[in-house]
Order: sequence, then C-alpha cells, then structure tokens
Amino acid sequence: MTHEVIRHLLDDYVTGELMEDARGPVADHIAGCEICAAEVESLKAILARAADLPKSIDPPAEAWSNIRSAIERDKIAVATYAGISARFWRAPYTLAAAAVLLVILSSAGTALYMSSRNSDERSSRVAASSPTSAATPATLAAFTIEENTYLRNVAVLQDILDQQEASLAPETVAQLKASLRTIDEAILEARNALARDPANKLLIEMLSSTYRQKVDLLRRTTEMTRGS
Amino acid sequence: MKTSAVVSDTIGPFPSTIGEEKAAALDSIRRAQAGDVDAFELLYREHAGRIYALCLRLKAGDSSDATELMQDVFIRAWRRLETFRGDCAFSSWLHRLAVNTMLENARSDRRRIARVLPMDDTSRLERAARQSGVDLRMDMENAIASLPKGARLAFVLHDVEGYQHQEIAEQLSVSVGTVKAQLHRARRLLRERLER
Repeated sequence: MTHEVIRHLLDDYVTGELMEDARGPVADHIAGCEICAAEVESLKAILARAADLPKSIDPPAEAWSNIRSAIERDKIAVATYAGISARFWRAPYTLAAAAVLLVILSSAGTALYMSSRNSDERSSRVAASSPTSAATPATLAAFTIEENTYLRNVAVLQDILDQQEASLAPETVAQLKASLRTIDEAILEARNALARDPANKLLIEMLSSTYRQKVDLLRRTTEMTRGS
Repeated sequence: MKTSAVVSDTIGPFPSTIGEEKAAALDSIRRAQAGDVDAFELLYREHAGRIYALCLRLKAGDSSDATELMQDVFIRAWRRLETFRGDCAFSSWLHRLAVNTMLENARSDRRRIARVLPMDDTSRLERAARQSGVDLRMDMENAIASLPKGARLAFVLHDVEGYQHQEIAEQLSVSVGTVKAQLHRARRLLRERLER
C-alpha cells in the first residue's frame, strides 16, 4: 500500500475499525513514516479530547415545566375533544339563525378544507384564508403555549353559551353543533398528525388556524346571543 | 442563561439493551406509558442532562435552540411512549428520538437564515467545561461548534456519543462512506483549529 492509500486508512486504524488484515501493513508503514506517525498521534489526541467532554449538562430549570405544561395540555385536549360539551347542547336556543349560519358556513368550510389530504393544497388554502397565520408559532413548544390559551378561551365561551342557550333556536343549535363537530374533527385530525410529526410547521399552522376558527365561531355566537 | 450547568463525567455509555435498565427505571417507563406524568418526570430527571448535552452539541452550542430541541424531544417522547417496546434501552430510544427530531426540525427550517452565534450561546458549554476542571474542553467544544453541520453531526454521534458508522448512516439516511468522509473531514478540521 502506498503512503496516500494508508493516510486514508489512519482514521479507522486509530479507532480500531480497520480490517484485521490491513492493520499490519498500516502499522509497519507508520513505524517508518514520520508524517503518518504524527497524524496518528494527532488523531489520538482529538479522540481523547472528544472522550473527555462532559456527557451530561443540566438543562435550564424551566425546561421541565414547559414540557409538563405541554403534556397537561395534551390531556386537556383529549378530554375536551373526546366528549365535547354534551351538556351545552341539551337546551333549545332562540336567536337570529341567518347570522349564525353565516358564521357556521365560513368556519365549517375552513375546517373541511383543512381536513383535505392534499398538503400542498391545504398549505395554500390556509395561507390564503388565515390573515393572522404570520403570527403562528414556529415550533411545537411555542404552539403548546398558544394552545393553552385557545383551550381556556373555548372553555370560557362555552360556559357563557351554556348560560345563554335558551335564546337560540333548535335548528340553529343543530347547525352550530354540526359545524363545531366538523371543526373538532379537523382539530383531532391535525392533532393526531402532529403527534406523529411534531416538527411539521404546516400542521402547527393548520391546528392554530382551526383553533382560531373555533374560538371565533363561539365568540361571535356569544356576541349575537347577547345582542338578541 | 438562567441557571448554572452541573456536569457529570461519570455516566457510562448508553446501555444497549433493556436488560441494562434499572428496575426502577423500568417501573417509571411502564407507569409513564400508562399516563403517569410524575413517572415521566422521573425519566426526564434521569435522562435530561445527557439529552441536553447532545442537543447542545447538535445545535452548535446554541442554548436556546438546544433547549427548544430538548423540549420537543421529551414532548414527542411522551406522545410516543406507547411505541417503546423495550427492544433497546430507553436511553438509546430517547437518544435516537433526539437525533431524529433534530434532523426533522432541520428539514423544516431549511429555508431559515442561519444565525450568527452570539458569545452567550456557548456559555453553557463553557461553564460545563470549566466545572469539569479541564479548560481545554472549551476549546474543543468551540471547535466542534464551528464545524460544518454534516461533519459536526458525524463527529458528535461517532466520537462523542459512540455510535457506529452504520447506525449514523441509517439515522442520517446517507451511506457509510459519506459518514466516514464527514468524520475524516471533522477530525482534520478540528486538528487544524486546535493545533493552531
């Protein structure tokens, strides 16, 4: 073997990963070659310094609380969407159905196209229909903080609607319920996809946008019941 | 930087099989799989230091990015706990998850403009090195952080974390030859930078 060939084998020689039958010739060459001998010593020094690096470094203290918050939000989300507010739908409602339906159609339409399986199509549609998408958190960790706010807002708005449910017509309630189910299905679908692919920013955007639609629908419905 | 780094040099290599896990750790894993967050916290406390050290090096010493990555790793670990079957040690499973998460985030961030590393970004590694009692380690950490990404990944995974060429090739979806070439490049660059 030539000097140049052997130089390319020095890494494996030093790390012990060189084939056994090649070790002898390489060792013989090193014994008589100052350049290769120096390179071997240099490589050994690098590997020793790498091995000497600390294996464990304490993370920032707040990291666990962030992780725990995200986990707790997962649990809340599962509970919220598994049995979504059955009590909310028990009583009849009486309100201007046309105005509510307008909101329903807009929200349901958004939720439906979000559940499309064509990700490119979804991306362009979300971008086109979400004027606030520029503010969408870029990471799952950041989104989980925002998600908590959505969930709190949804809970507050649903409590308000609970108290005002008698003011809505039954047919309006049925439409609203169907619309919210569609949105919740879209949320669940995006949530499950995000669990499989947490780094997917498109999914984060979709989920964030769907939450916004749900909060917006509940908020506007609440405002209308107040005005009735 | 909000906290000082505490360093342990006494941790051995990642156990390769579930048989090497302690009984208490196995119990924590099972309880966490059943939804026990307190049990998951025990797992976090046991493994966070090592995963964070890996994240810091994969993220070139950027503590903000490393913390974000580590949080993503553990959130993802929680959501995927049911998929851990004990075919390998939990630490190895987490470790692989960290590398995969970093690679997936990197693909998502492909178009993001690279940031200039501020001085403070390496302070956690620096404190870790100093508390280890060997100042030379900081030079080494800085030199690793300055490596091109591919070379840095190969070096950290092989020479710091002890992965085999084949394992790295599978994780990075490249050939063994590419891994070896990146390793060779990394070592050459490190020698040049450390021997100036």
